[in-house]
Amino acid sequence: MPPTHDPQLLKGVLSLLLLQLLAERESYGYEVVQRLHAIGLTDVLEGTVYPALARLEREGRLAAHLVPSTAGPARKYYLPTAAGYDALAAGAAQWLSLTTLVHGVLSRPVPTSPSKGS
Amino acid sequence: MAPSPSWVDRLRIELVVWTLDQRLYDLPRSARIAHRREVRENLLEAAHDIGGREAIRRLGNSRQLAAEYRAAEFGDGPRHSWVATGVAVATAVLLMTSWLNEAIHAFGDGVRAGQPHATGTFTWAGFRYVQSGVTYAFTDGQWTSTGGAFTPLTWILLAALAVASGRLWRLLPSRGQGASREAASQRG
Repeated sequence: MPPTHDPQLLKGVLSLLLLQLLAERESYGYEVVQRLHAIGLTDVLEGTVYPALARLEREGRLAAHLVPSTAGPARKYYLPTAAGYDALAAGAAQWLSLTTLVHGVLSRPVPTSPSKGS
Repeated sequence: MAPSPSWVDRLRIELVVWTLDQRLYDLPRSARIAHRREVRENLLEAAHDIGGREAIRRLGNSRQLAAEYRAAEFGDGPRHSWVATGVAVATAVLLMTSWLNEAIHAFGDGVRAGQPHATGTFTWAGFRYVQSGVTYAFTDGQWTSTGGAFTPLTWILLAALAVASGRLWRLLPSRGQGASREAASQRG
């Protein structure tokens, strides 16, 4: 069974993940969900991703365009705007800085009992 | 290629899309239509892969989804509601119209009860401040009436009800939002 992830932690970085994935290749909503599942985030549901895409579009970080589909209605493809690339760069730098700090703390060995305060 | 969703799955999907659409009435029409189309298209595609029932399950609760779409459109803070405004004002207008109409009929019927063959013109001042005066034209006990409309004060009260019920003051840009937008534009 694949590992589950804290929804609150995921929610904090979902926008960054979406921007990164869409910067690599433009996609429509369901395809983005499949790509998230493919990298191991199988517990991210469609109902979380679609509003997140709508929010990024409203904020001007994603642009969308319709592409006719042979399988059904036209698909709405998303790709980052210039503001989206800026947000991705800034967000990724903040996230990497934070994870480096957190990793430094959490990778220390845990003592059997806390030392006494001085 | 995976088989097309069955008509039962298509019906299920349409029901979900319709339910979601009913909960997105506060959104601008174009955004509501765009979300509706996108969700339908994505659900149909997911139904190809994993079946309609599972596709709908993975979409989650439509109430929660609608709340997230509204938050995406308007932000996370407290919001106005055009639906609440519409319901409150429509209910108030219907109730008041019904009540004032009953009062107009009661006065006319009262005159006729006193004078079954009344003929002439009668006036009733109506409910003061709420309703304009009513003029009755009687001919052998049969009457017609004119007047009895809402007064300007009534319309002002209805406008106040509209603002209060829909919390429409939230449409005004707050000082904080204005300042943050200004800061963002300076950064940009």
